[in-house]
Amino acid sequence: MTIERKIREHLHETAETLECPPAISKRIEQSYSHYLQRKRSEKTMKKRLIGGIVAAAILIPTAAFAAPPLIEMLTRTPLTAEQVKVDEVSKATLEKLYSAFPETKSFEIVDASNVQGEAINPKDSTDLSKIKVNQTSIILQEKGGTGKKITLHINAGTGEIEHVDQENWEPKEKPLISLTDQEIKAKVDNLIEKMYGSVNAYEFAMEQMENPDQKVLMLNYIIKGAEKPFYQVFVHDNAINLTRVGGEPAPSHIKVEGLFTRDGKPDYTYDSILNDDKLFSLLQISPTELKEELAKGQSVADIAASKNISKQQVLEVIANTQVEKQLEAEQNGVVPKSNRSKEQLLKDIEPKLLLILDHKNETPSN
Amino acid sequence: MQSEYMYQLLTEMKDGDQQAFQTLYDATYQDVYRTVSFLVDHQQDREDVMNEIYMQMWTSLANYDSNRPFHFWLHGLVIRQVQRFRVKSWRRFRIFERIRAFTREESHWDQPAVLMDGTNQMISQAIQKLTDKQRMVIILRFYHDYTLEEIATLLDIPLGTVKSRYHAGLQALRKKIWNLPPERMEKINDY
Repeated sequence: MTIERKIREHLHETAETLECPPAISKRIEQSYSHYLQRKRSEKTMKKRLIGGIVAAAILIPTAAFAAPPLIEMLTRTPLTAEQVKVDEVSKATLEKLYSAFPETKSFEIVDASNVQGEAINPKDSTDLSKIKVNQTSIILQEKGGTGKKITLHINAGTGEIEHVDQENWEPKEKPLISLTDQEIKAKVDNLIEKMYGSVNAYEFAMEQMENPDQKVLMLNYIIKGAEKPFYQVFVHDNAINLTRVGGEPAPSHIKVEGLFTRDGKPDYTYDSILNDDKLFSLLQISPTELKEELAKGQSVADIAASKNISKQQVLEVIANTQVEKQLEAEQNGVVPKSNRSKEQLLKDIEPKLLLILDHKNETPSN
Repeated sequence: MQSEYMYQLLTEMKDGDQQAFQTLYDATYQDVYRTVSFLVDHQQDREDVMNEIYMQMWTSLANYDSNRPFHFWLHGLVIRQVQRFRVKSWRRFRIFERIRAFTREESHWDQPAVLMDGTNQMISQAIQKLTDKQRMVIILRFYHDYTLEEIATLLDIPLGTVKSRYHAGLQALRKKIWNLPPERMEKINDY
């Protein structure tokens, strides 16, 4: 008998002895009825994708992912479009959406629901700590066309938008994922800027998830110095799933863009330094007023002088903020330790900040 | 079973027909389970892979090429899920289990000992010792009787690669079986 024949016979004989354990059949049957349930509630796509994404997200230790699937375990109360329109928080969110994406005004609210209760929010596998959940979700969809769809999950208590899912905004023939990395980033940046504000204060990282069946990109936006991503975005197929993970609160001092301009465009480095709450209170000025003053061609030093505050005082305040940030980042291991004392750092930074205090925006030549 | 009928069942199943699911499951699970068992060694892993295969079945129906026989499509699903399972780094969660499994490496295939004579055990072990890639080709060739061309399509690799894996696999098996004691060799050769 040839070896080929022997192997063939052996395999078939062995196969006869292999019986599929009933436990497996049972499990698959359960999977199927889960699938049916989801299908009936017409949310198959969303949940399946999120499920897959979360499974993938667990692989990356730095990725903190807020937990939509845990929330799904609580019962959702459906809301009618009318209920959404009278609810203060939802109304405000919709207004925001309409002004960010005017085309959404014509969209139909295809689904809305609210969920309340306590969900388990484990920090690790043994943790059972719970979080209170009160979330309203609204799904809007364009009639006809490419079926553009946008889903908003809002914290019904604070009105914060916790997740945004944008689907089908690109033509079917050229789905989002087929674009180049730069184009994808631009799309995501645009979504964040419209829904939340400037992305310039964040450090950015993009990586491709290990998923051979489907290309999934993960984009993290991290506040400089923070450990956890602030926005975490998954891009797959023709969808952007944006989650405000919020390892830390949004920097309150990033209030105004364009305090300083260079070639007519905001200078974000200078902006981020001047958006300092302590500076505003020292000068007793609101960020918007400061912007107006600077636009007239005055320098920060000029403004301080007009209020009888010395340049040195201003310098101390902003230098202190910057050095504290630097030290904190070193502490957290975000930047390598410089092993310099606070005094040394303050001394180093002062000449750089002096430039900012004396900087004058170019005023219109006319 | 006819491919067209199977396709119809699949569609009904996808639309939520429990009966269609049952029929389709009953018609396929033994074959799928056995194939998976040949390719994946540990019981818990087989269970996971099986579940993934069937979940894939009702979610990726759109990819079904009705020009190809149903079983070809089904085996494609099986292979992709087995490969995916191997690649996936969530296996790291199983490290503990794998260490445990290492200590009883010899008992992978759960065959009843009575049915197995020494030669058969030898072949089983030899097949298990093949690399995953070789094993995949050997199982498809000898258990499912696919041609090497079909295997190339299923695995989505060039024919040349299939051939080299096939020959390398066979050679490894031959070598193992050459090492049998002389009386066993006679038994193999006396047909």
